[in-house]
Amino acid sequence: MSKLGTVVESVEKYNQFVVDQVKRARTDQKFGRDLLGRWNDIKAKIPTSRTPTGIPLPRLALPEIDEPGEIARYLFGEGLPGEFPFLNGAYREMYLEPIREVESLEKNGDTKKSAAKRIPQAEEPTRLFSGLMLAEDTNERFHFLSAHQRSKRLSTAFDGPTLYGIDSDADGVFGKIGEGGVAIDTVEDMVRLYDGFDLGSANFSASMTISGPAPIIMAMYIAAAKRRFGPSVVPNLRGTVQADIFKEVQAQNETIFPIEPSLRFLTDMVEFTTREMPRWYPISISGYHIGEAGSTPVQQAAYTLSNGFAYAEMFAARGIPVDQFGPRLSFFLDCGLDVEYIALARVSRRIWAIGMRDVFGAGPKAQLYKLHTQTSGRSLIAAEFKNNLTRTAAELMLAYMNATNSCHSNSADEPFTTPSEEWIRLAAHGQAILLEESGIFKHTMNMLSGSPGMKAVERAVEAAILEEFREIERLGGVLAAVEERYQRSQIQNAAHKYEQQIYDGTRPIIALNKYRNGSDEATPEVKLARTPRKKQQLQVDRLAKFKKKNVDKSKRALDKLAAVAESGKNCFPALLEAVEVCSLGQITGRLQEVVGRFRPMV
Amino acid sequence: MAAPIRVLTAVPICDGHDSAINTINLEFIRHGIEVVYLGYHRSVGDIVRAAIQEDVRAIGISSYNGGHIEFFAEVVDLLRKKGASEIKVFGGGGGTITHEDAAAMRRKGVDEIFFAGTSLEEMVKFVHQRYGKPRAKRAHAKTADIELARKLTEIEDGKKKIQNPKSKIENAKVIGFTGPGGAGKTTLIDELVLRFLNTDKKSLVAILSHDPSVVGEGALLGDRATMINSQNDRVFMRSMATRGQAGGLSPATQDCLALLAQSGFDYVIIETVGTGQEAMPFQKNGIVDQTVLVMNPDYGSRLQLQKIVMLDLADIVVVNKSDLQRAKTAHTEIEQRLEQNRRGQRLIDTVAKRHRDPGVDRLFDLISVSGKSKPEEKRRKK
Repeated sequence: MSKLGTVVESVEKYNQFVVDQVKRARTDQKFGRDLLGRWNDIKAKIPTSRTPTGIPLPRLALPEIDEPGEIARYLFGEGLPGEFPFLNGAYREMYLEPIREVESLEKNGDTKKSAAKRIPQAEEPTRLFSGLMLAEDTNERFHFLSAHQRSKRLSTAFDGPTLYGIDSDADGVFGKIGEGGVAIDTVEDMVRLYDGFDLGSANFSASMTISGPAPIIMAMYIAAAKRRFGPSVVPNLRGTVQADIFKEVQAQNETIFPIEPSLRFLTDMVEFTTREMPRWYPISISGYHIGEAGSTPVQQAAYTLSNGFAYAEMFAARGIPVDQFGPRLSFFLDCGLDVEYIALARVSRRIWAIGMRDVFGAGPKAQLYKLHTQTSGRSLIAAEFKNNLTRTAAELMLAYMNATNSCHSNSADEPFTTPSEEWIRLAAHGQAILLEESGIFKHTMNMLSGSPGMKAVERAVEAAILEEFREIERLGGVLAAVEERYQRSQIQNAAHKYEQQIYDGTRPIIALNKYRNGSDEATPEVKLARTPRKKQQLQVDRLAKFKKKNVDKSKRALDKLAAVAESGKNCFPALLEAVEVCSLGQITGRLQEVVGRFRPMV
Repeated sequence: MAAPIRVLTAVPICDGHDSAINTINLEFIRHGIEVVYLGYHRSVGDIVRAAIQEDVRAIGISSYNGGHIEFFAEVVDLLRKKGASEIKVFGGGGGTITHEDAAAMRRKGVDEIFFAGTSLEEMVKFVHQRYGKPRAKRAHAKTADIELARKLTEIEDGKKKIQNPKSKIENAKVIGFTGPGGAGKTTLIDELVLRFLNTDKKSLVAILSHDPSVVGEGALLGDRATMINSQNDRVFMRSMATRGQAGGLSPATQDCLALLAQSGFDYVIIETVGTGQEAMPFQKNGIVDQTVLVMNPDYGSRLQLQKIVMLDLADIVVVNKSDLQRAKTAHTEIEQRLEQNRRGQRLIDTVAKRHRDPGVDRLFDLISVSGKSKPEEKRRKK
């Protein structure tokens, strides 16, 4: 049995534990009384916030229950926000506004804390995703986007050649340089990319959306930071690199080495970063691309979680302590308009916490399913594309109802281009309007949690996820299922059904198969962000110069890297050396000679 | 009945967006088109080489990662340079290709670009109307690949016969691969090709691969999509649909194989459709020198083995996926079964998906042993 089977058992066991606690609270009087006492105590300690019109509201809303069994069901089954099993949130206050005046409840008599003590806002959830043309162009965009932000949280998209680990001078990729993301060939590009940002600052974090060549790109980032700030910056670096090999093979097709060596290089990187860079997230376990490739919401959640547990099993097998790597895992989900999304992340957080605690022996910090959400790109369409603002707004609402830790909202123009500044700005404003302008999420935690409908979805989704786990376990675990193309086929099948439903009208898409305006207008004329040939040529020229300058050193570095790769030792230190003098494509090519190339699955 | 239209579909280099093309492929097949699917992340060179060897009428490219104007234009240019501009190019990319882009692409020689919202029916209709008419008289073939590809088409469409299908060039080694679907035949062949190419830097390889189809219907010819080493100028690959014939081969296979064996390749590999167990797909005393049966360890009960006729006939039996738990049992059971035959058949365990797998090395040694390098003048001119 792989650990996934044990996870299923642990969740079932935990659910039974909750049932038992409810029963006990109703039959064991002392236990019931204690619970009631604890409940009253919790309620008494909830601070109050005031709305702009002066109405007082509790900063944490709880169900109106006073019967010990129900209290047990809530506290053990859901947990307060920030408490096991974390159904309602990974943290206590998430995106609540910092307290202006704390009004402690008089009856508790605890007035000491009522001083105007500011509690820092726990989450600043807005992330800005960008990547276009050359490193200096993306850099400029980053400065533009983050100019008014207290914290600089930059999320980077890479162009096709970079995602596939090849150089800008490779055969036939010229037109793709800087398209759909930024072109990175060398450490010098990486220096340009984040120029002007203080990489070691607590207010800066970089997220890099790349998986196949992630260890090489990670090494370039570290090398670039060292060039600018010296070696002492390394432990202070904050950010995320996606590095999710399983989802690439299941859905996104950007894998460059065979699965097993890909996983090995990933583990090499995780071993290094969790030891040397305690603030870095070396993997973002991603359902987003699974969802975008067409999976159902349940498949997305189930494959993401099961991939996560498979990684945990792998890192533990390498000997990395669970409390060292556990807190450095993060998750990334898609949020579309299907009703399952009302609770998808909530349920995921709960299953993850139970599995990590009860199967992997993780401590509290390693139990957290820390989540980044992005609204669904697939849900956006070109026809009457301004409707996409409404779609994205509804998805944002669902994402925040799930207490996501951070979020990206898509631009309405995404169906036809790399987002333009106007629509990016509107997308970011959508989040600000929801979180800052509206009162929905800033005064009270649990504002929209726990409705009967949400609970019904939670139960249905959890059962369906566990059923998916059982199926994967029957196939021999995640790796075996991946090699059998199980997840891939399931996703493709779901995608086909989705298209069929649009085609036959059972899935209404407004302005596409319903309320169409009749005039079959073409794609709207939107200004496209395209990389000029001159810039593409500049990238090729710069790369040639870099290669020429390092012609001897790169050979030695590659030989050394190949030798380490052959030996089976951790490659990451050799990668750190290699990126100083070798390009991305040179490193990829050499490693492929040792471990082979990825064979596409169709 | 007119021969089915053959088109090649692919997704450009640095692009893994294959869900649209997967849907389109299926629709094409349902409407009688034979689709040679090359897969995603494919270079201009790979696409043009495959299109020429497969002698398709057109190439359909599905591009979602940008750079499409250049990429499509490069495909058209390279086709022209190789003397194959009779192969046409069409494609699409949802909303990523604007009308302005499409106009530029048409000016550069692309036949048609489909925009977001185009129905599958419209695409099918386009392919039938534009590429379904019989070809005009074809101009002189400019390269050996084009000439060979056209002859194969003529044989496949029943317009040409090979006079001496059993004769072949001396030293051209012909190896037949068969076995159940999913056993890993294609992967194994691709790994062997890598060894053929690396061991003798001049050797040339031909591959004749098969996928099933019903008379008058389309077919998905997808073996190229999972191959990485066989995308090489020294490899000539042709994908054939069985067009209604049972047994894992096409009615034209024998002649096509003979033509390849007479065309100056050092190795000619033939791969059957994933077959059942009832018979030997290759002719007795035909031109196949060596037969390889590729087995999956999950063949079921021991009794099943007794029913597999191929186990009596194959020269080499490969248990692929020998990293699976059941593989050891499979090896033992098959070994016993082969011993009953007393024919000196070889049994080899491989893990074809693994880079530099020692089992594949052993298989390569067995296969390449009689494939002596041939004198320069008999080699094929590219």
